[in-house]
Amino acid sequence: MAEPYSHRNLLSIKNLTKRYGALTAVDDVSLEIRPGEIFALLGVNGAGKTTMIGCITGLISRFEGEIRIAGYDVRKDYRIARQLVGLVPQELNFDGFFPTAETLRYQGGYFGHRANRARADELLETFSLTEKADANTRKLSGGMKRRLMVCKSLMHSPALLFLDEPTAGVDVDLRENLWNYIRKLRDSGTTIVLTTHYLEEAENLADRIGIINRGRLLRVDSRDELMRLFGRRWIEVRLSGPVPSGLMDRLDDFQPETPAPDRLRITFSEPAHHGSCDEAPVKRLMREIQRAGLEMETLEGGRNRLEDIFREVVHSDA
Amino acid sequence: MMNPPDPMIQPATETVASAARRSDGMPPREAEEAARRHITQVERRAIGNHGSRGTWMLFRRELARFMKVAGQTIVSPVLTTILWFIVFGFSLGSRLDQINGIPYVDFLVPGLIMLNLISNAFLNTGFSLFISKVHGSVVDILLTPLTPTQIMIGYTAASVLRALIIGGLIWLVAEVMGASTLHNPAFTLAFMILTSMAFSLFGLVVAILAEDFDHINLFPSFLIMPLTFLGGVFYSIEMLPSPWDTVSLVNPILYMVNGLRYGMTGVTDVPVGLGLFLVTGSVAVFGAVAYWLLATGKKLRE
Repeated sequence: MAEPYSHRNLLSIKNLTKRYGALTAVDDVSLEIRPGEIFALLGVNGAGKTTMIGCITGLISRFEGEIRIAGYDVRKDYRIARQLVGLVPQELNFDGFFPTAETLRYQGGYFGHRANRARADELLETFSLTEKADANTRKLSGGMKRRLMVCKSLMHSPALLFLDEPTAGVDVDLRENLWNYIRKLRDSGTTIVLTTHYLEEAENLADRIGIINRGRLLRVDSRDELMRLFGRRWIEVRLSGPVPSGLMDRLDDFQPETPAPDRLRITFSEPAHHGSCDEAPVKRLMREIQRAGLEMETLEGGRNRLEDIFREVVHSDA
Repeated sequence: MMNPPDPMIQPATETVASAARRSDGMPPREAEEAARRHITQVERRAIGNHGSRGTWMLFRRELARFMKVAGQTIVSPVLTTILWFIVFGFSLGSRLDQINGIPYVDFLVPGLIMLNLISNAFLNTGFSLFISKVHGSVVDILLTPLTPTQIMIGYTAASVLRALIIGGLIWLVAEVMGASTLHNPAFTLAFMILTSMAFSLFGLVVAILAEDFDHINLFPSFLIMPLTFLGGVFYSIEMLPSPWDTVSLVNPILYMVNGLRYGMTGVTDVPVGLGLFLVTGSVAVFGAVAYWLLATGKKLRE
């Protein structure tokens, strides 16, 4: 039996490798998760996020390396480790035999909980499923099934909760609710690891972000650091005339491009991280356009997608 | 010319960001303190939990599962079997000679009970676990702190109970209708329990290994059913022409049917000890394989 929890870190992964034949799904990953943090594991489909979580939560039992939760080895001390963690799997599941509330009571029961009924009712209430308490899980909509899965994972009040793509296929309202609940959960003492391939989600929720690609954890940064290093926004305007080269020169520090003769596109890092002395890129662009005696006809903007960041990270890593 | 909207400068997402967040990536201090308290709490509870309640809940769930569809899982097999022995035992059987010195209906009842014990015990665990694999809800069990033994007990106990309810009802109805099958009730009951255990563990093993529904149906249709029918449910092997009486002796289910028949009527074609040895051995073997599969995580945790 491991020493009682006294460590700085709640989850400690050392040199985790998981191979399926010739494929290395997780490749020598080491990671520490601090108590009370929200950690986002960011990666495209097939990057190894789900496999990694499977190894931690006990869904995958054969792997190389060592994983400890609060000091307990997930394989040797699995009885205790599994009570510390909870998981909302990525794929929707339901058993179709029982009503919603009953499903929750069994789930809490497997973990030895006694005050099951009250806990189940409370969670159903929180996730707006009270009306469906007596409905068979088969009859729930996709979004409700996902919420039920979140309830199931919380029945035993885990200390470390894994959310595997919690908002995949979830509508905007529910997504906001879920985000708010995740924050609340964290504030009340649940450490959270979520996987996502939406940069926005990671940025909104996470204290730290890990980027995983082809099984390798490429880097772990605080959210602000990652956005400072890789976050980019772009603005594209259509002008009343062709873009003069003088304008391009004056905007040189914004990597100006001309996708068409009368179109100008500038890229700059996240506004939040501009030094206070710098002029905001939009203002500067407006001023330069006016100076060139041109008018702006349309304007669009956006931010770089996760794929762009990915490419950059993967590139800088090589 | 249009004026650029000022809010463009502010990333829209910041408005919903949690105020407590820190820019250095460390968790907010209050959250960290709350988390440490929570961890200690869960840990203390976890150390005190040995899984007896979890096992009980798994058993309860399994019990509730088949009771929800009792029409299929209990009533249907009981009714079908009662029809069997009304038709074969009482109407046709009255025209048959005694077999091994007892009326045909008495001879038939243990055979029919054994047939039901075997198939229902097998199907209950097999179907339940396999369908949860198909629906993905098996992760609910895999994530729990239940040990391999506890999982086996939860599933098997419910399955044995289902088999016993069915077997018991058939037995009761047979007695009420005039069959005489109370030679050694204690032995009979023990034998019923052991047989159901063996086959529910077998069902568990098959469900773990199965990759498709055909695999679950394969065993009842192509192995259990033929072996049971050829295992002396309806006839005594002494009635078979040579060499089939000898060939029948390699069929393990023959010994199980005869074991139960001995308990109910005192009559058997083959040594009772061998039957007892076979069911106990099957419990041990299937139990060991199921344990090994669950403990190593083969197929389930891959």
